[in-house]
Amino acid sequence: MPTISIAPGDLDALLGRALPESEWEARLAAAKGELKGRDETTGAWRVELNDTNRPDLWSAEGIARQVRSLLEGAAGKRQGYPVFAGRTSPRLEIRVDARLREVRPYIAAVRARGVAITEPMLLALIETQEKLAENYGRRRRFASVGLYAAGKLRWPLDYAAVSPDEARFVPLGFEQPLTLREILEKHPKGQAYRPILEGRPLVPIFRDSRGEILSFPPIINSRALGEVKPGDSDLLVEVTGTDLRGTVLLSNIFAANLADRGFRCERVRVTYPWETPWGREVATPRPVSEGVVVDLAEASRLLGEAAGAADLRARLVAYGCEVSGEGRGKLRVVPPPWRDDYMHPVDAIEDYAMARGYGSFAPEMPADFTVGAVHEVTSVADRVRDHLIGCGFEETIGNVLTDRATLRDRVRRGGVEPVTIANPTSELHGVLRDALLPGLLRLEGASPRATYPHRAFEVGEVQSPHADADVGSRTLVHAAALWASPDVSFSDLHALLEALGTYLDWEVSLAPQDHGTFIPGRAAKVQFRGAPRGWIGEVHPEVLDAFGIRTPAVGLEVVVAPVPETSP
Amino acid sequence: MAGEILIATHADVSAFREAAPLIEWLIVTHLAGQPERSTMDEGLLGILPADIRGEEARRSALNRALSTLEHTRIGGAQLLRREEVEAREAPELTDLGNLFRLNGLPEERLLRLLQERSPRTIAEIREHKDFDDGRAGNAIGTLKRAGVISVRGPEVHLEKPELPEDVRRLATILKNLGSPGGDWVGGFDERDWAVIRENSRTRGSGSDPLRIRSQKRYRIRLLVEFDASHESFERTAEKAMAGSVGPLTPEMLRDGTWRGKEFRRWNLALRPAAPPIGRRHPYREYLDSVKRKLTAMGFVEMVGSLVETEFWNMDALYMPQFHSAREIHDIYLVKDPPRARALPAAVAARVATAHRDGGGTGSTGWRYEFDADRSRQTILRSHGTVLSARTLASAPKVPGKYFAVARCFRPDVVDASHAADFFQIEGIVLGKTINFRSLLGLLRLFGYEIARATECRFVPAYFPFTEPSVEVHMRHPTLGWMELGGAGIFRPELTKPLGVDVPVIAWGLGVDRMAMVALGVDDIRDLFTADLAKLREMKVRAERH
Repeated sequence: MPTISIAPGDLDALLGRALPESEWEARLAAAKGELKGRDETTGAWRVELNDTNRPDLWSAEGIARQVRSLLEGAAGKRQGYPVFAGRTSPRLEIRVDARLREVRPYIAAVRARGVAITEPMLLALIETQEKLAENYGRRRRFASVGLYAAGKLRWPLDYAAVSPDEARFVPLGFEQPLTLREILEKHPKGQAYRPILEGRPLVPIFRDSRGEILSFPPIINSRALGEVKPGDSDLLVEVTGTDLRGTVLLSNIFAANLADRGFRCERVRVTYPWETPWGREVATPRPVSEGVVVDLAEASRLLGEAAGAADLRARLVAYGCEVSGEGRGKLRVVPPPWRDDYMHPVDAIEDYAMARGYGSFAPEMPADFTVGAVHEVTSVADRVRDHLIGCGFEETIGNVLTDRATLRDRVRRGGVEPVTIANPTSELHGVLRDALLPGLLRLEGASPRATYPHRAFEVGEVQSPHADADVGSRTLVHAAALWASPDVSFSDLHALLEALGTYLDWEVSLAPQDHGTFIPGRAAKVQFRGAPRGWIGEVHPEVLDAFGIRTPAVGLEVVVAPVPETSP
Repeated sequence: MAGEILIATHADVSAFREAAPLIEWLIVTHLAGQPERSTMDEGLLGILPADIRGEEARRSALNRALSTLEHTRIGGAQLLRREEVEAREAPELTDLGNLFRLNGLPEERLLRLLQERSPRTIAEIREHKDFDDGRAGNAIGTLKRAGVISVRGPEVHLEKPELPEDVRRLATILKNLGSPGGDWVGGFDERDWAVIRENSRTRGSGSDPLRIRSQKRYRIRLLVEFDASHESFERTAEKAMAGSVGPLTPEMLRDGTWRGKEFRRWNLALRPAAPPIGRRHPYREYLDSVKRKLTAMGFVEMVGSLVETEFWNMDALYMPQFHSAREIHDIYLVKDPPRARALPAAVAARVATAHRDGGGTGSTGWRYEFDADRSRQTILRSHGTVLSARTLASAPKVPGKYFAVARCFRPDVVDASHAADFFQIEGIVLGKTINFRSLLGLLRLFGYEIARATECRFVPAYFPFTEPSVEVHMRHPTLGWMELGGAGIFRPELTKPLGVDVPVIAWGLGVDRMAMVALGVDDIRDLFTADLAKLREMKVRAERH
């Protein structure tokens, strides 16, 4: 979820009137935003935007636009954005190279003039550019954005494919010209975004008609043409990407944002040498969403109260949508050009609920009667827990993620490797436990200051490697108990196992068998009805040493129940 | 303290003597001989039988015996109490220190040798049996610096037969620490402490005679008038006990001898130390209580595998494969096998189509090329919602309510608010009558019944799998406004491919913060503490209902 910074007063300036801070804070909800804090020195707000499918809201302009729409829309007035209404073929042109079709096929752009950009405005613009490219643009792979001072450009522009050794220019942040290959190797942005172009014999280049390089998308702009400075009043915003809708959507968002700042926006014609979903000539910015058709009966069912056509229409218009009748209780709802998040009528219905305010819906108790129950695995596990507690054992909870040494080397255990994480954050959490006793031994080693005797247990999930399972392992519920005390011996825990077996109907028997964790001759397989279910034994002094335990200890571990993949 | 001292009968004492292990008997008789009947536990270490070897073993044996004694009663009176707990630093002997105490410090040994005969050659001193511990060099160096000896060529000459003060102090300290009852009670002055610190620099490495140990000390007080000599005890006891009843015995009941006698009044003001008892883990107890409430509301529990596929964890929840929460740093991947063997083909195909173009759900879908191979990537489940997806795909009851307390995994850096794994409480409600208003009603019910909210409000939220989505904020009686959880109505693109045709509420509750408050824990890792002592301090506050 993106978090953006908003300068004090910026929202008021964009709205055209001042709202008290508390009201802004409340109104952020309409943009699914949340005030996370304020910068101590600048007073800037840190706002988190929760809707990852509404990139239009990831800027002060977008938030103010949404709020303004709700405030003014109620009065039936809509802010005009003439750039989206254009029907004629634009004068400005970008020509796309056929060879880019397999590399990074799409480009969209908008020219904006008429306001000398101030430094705060430029900083906000750059922040939006970065948030959109990183987050919506999936670290520039899906889409990225470039800003240029348009006054120096000679039209038409070329979005072309070149060999990385063919072109060279001075990138932002450098003094000397570098080839594109050198940029990928040496420039920080080249190193960061190189994987996007990995293995490509041809890479994108953005040039003007003189052949002057604007940028090397999606990596870096040129110093000569690709640097915007405060005071510039003629800008070009370009978006390249792998998806036509996504690329054009971002140009729409910039067009709307710049219009909100007072710029006059001009469309750009992009000509493709192949047939795109929108033809060979795509004028950008342009609306992208066809909208959805909302059935009033469906809407009423989803909301739990009758939704009237007039109210639905008024609220959605206020929220910024265009609404038209589709006959027989149906409305077509088209979101504004800077949005493309409508997939299903439910998206428009949520907008209606938000425009009305969630507080305006009366909560209603779900009325259906159902019978509640814990899962069988839980009831079995709970009985084991109750009985162990009755025996005087203290319950513990260990982490499922643990380290391999604890599960294997420290308890002198070999066998199948535990389920291992491919991308661990730390070796301490690198594998999933397949037994509980190692965790209890670690607890014992860390508990010298607790009064003896120590009788600890855990009943919990383990992940046991299993060749037959679809995912290579199964989740089981185990029960383990550890009794540490200066005078404890095998028979103490064995007696307890007998008691548990009696009350839990386990029909316990022991099959003496040595096990690395335990002292030879003092360990046995635990069997329920003759089938192996676990181990019991006096812990081997080497194991005690490995955990720093200074008293004798006896341990027990049994499988309580397998956990099904799917329940109920 | 006089009021607490009761007199035990001879029979009690004899019975105790027979029943009590040697160590307990030794402690009692030792204390009985002390004028003030009190000592520090350090003082008692010395009276333990010599066959208990090793520092830890002796401490543990003493500790055990004292705990037992604290709960033993003679004539109904508590026998012993540890009090005046204080933590302070105290020196103790290392193994080397014990050797020095027995054999003398190297400097002492050198002086003795030279007093017998001076001069001696360095080689001769080194090879002398008194220096088989190889400490001759140190001793020569120390004494030479102090002017006690001089070294001329290969010869060592005695100059003044007097050890430097620090050495003398160290010798005294070693002697005191090694004798029964002799410890820090006598007190060390500043100079002593300087010597102690000088000789305990390398903690635990074994190359210093002392180690400084910071520990709690107890004053131990015998609470019963007690004379170890039987004859005198018997006389006192008989006189004092005549005509009154101590513990009631089966014999007294049989013979009726208790009749007409006075029952001695027990001292009820004594507070015994709480023994460790079996009990539920406080966090489990909290989670159990939430489970109980949910089942009481008609919810059926769901369980499932900790290792999952991206399919069930995300694809089936209509989270697009490019969603940022699916990136490698947000999900734990399983190394082997990297791919699940199979997925249910029909459901997988319907889900893939829903992502691609909506697949007849009335949606455009996410409009991207769905990667079926990625669906089989094995991962650790990252949220409890995966259980809801699996339940929806396996013919759930309609109407139906389901919940799970699911252990989940996300590769956050482990800190005060992120545990290596954590529990999520999530669930679903299915039914023809489910709608946005019943969603709000359910959340308000959760707020009041589970979280003791006094007020709830609803805020728009975003989850890729629900629409509408809502976050519920509640006013907690002590914490004020806080987020209780997120919820929404599952998107049709999610429910239809899984075979469900009625609306489904999905909800999740963030209870960790409430649990931490209820348990008085401010670091989430403490919920999973591996220290029994810490665990014993944690308790669950009683709930209002």
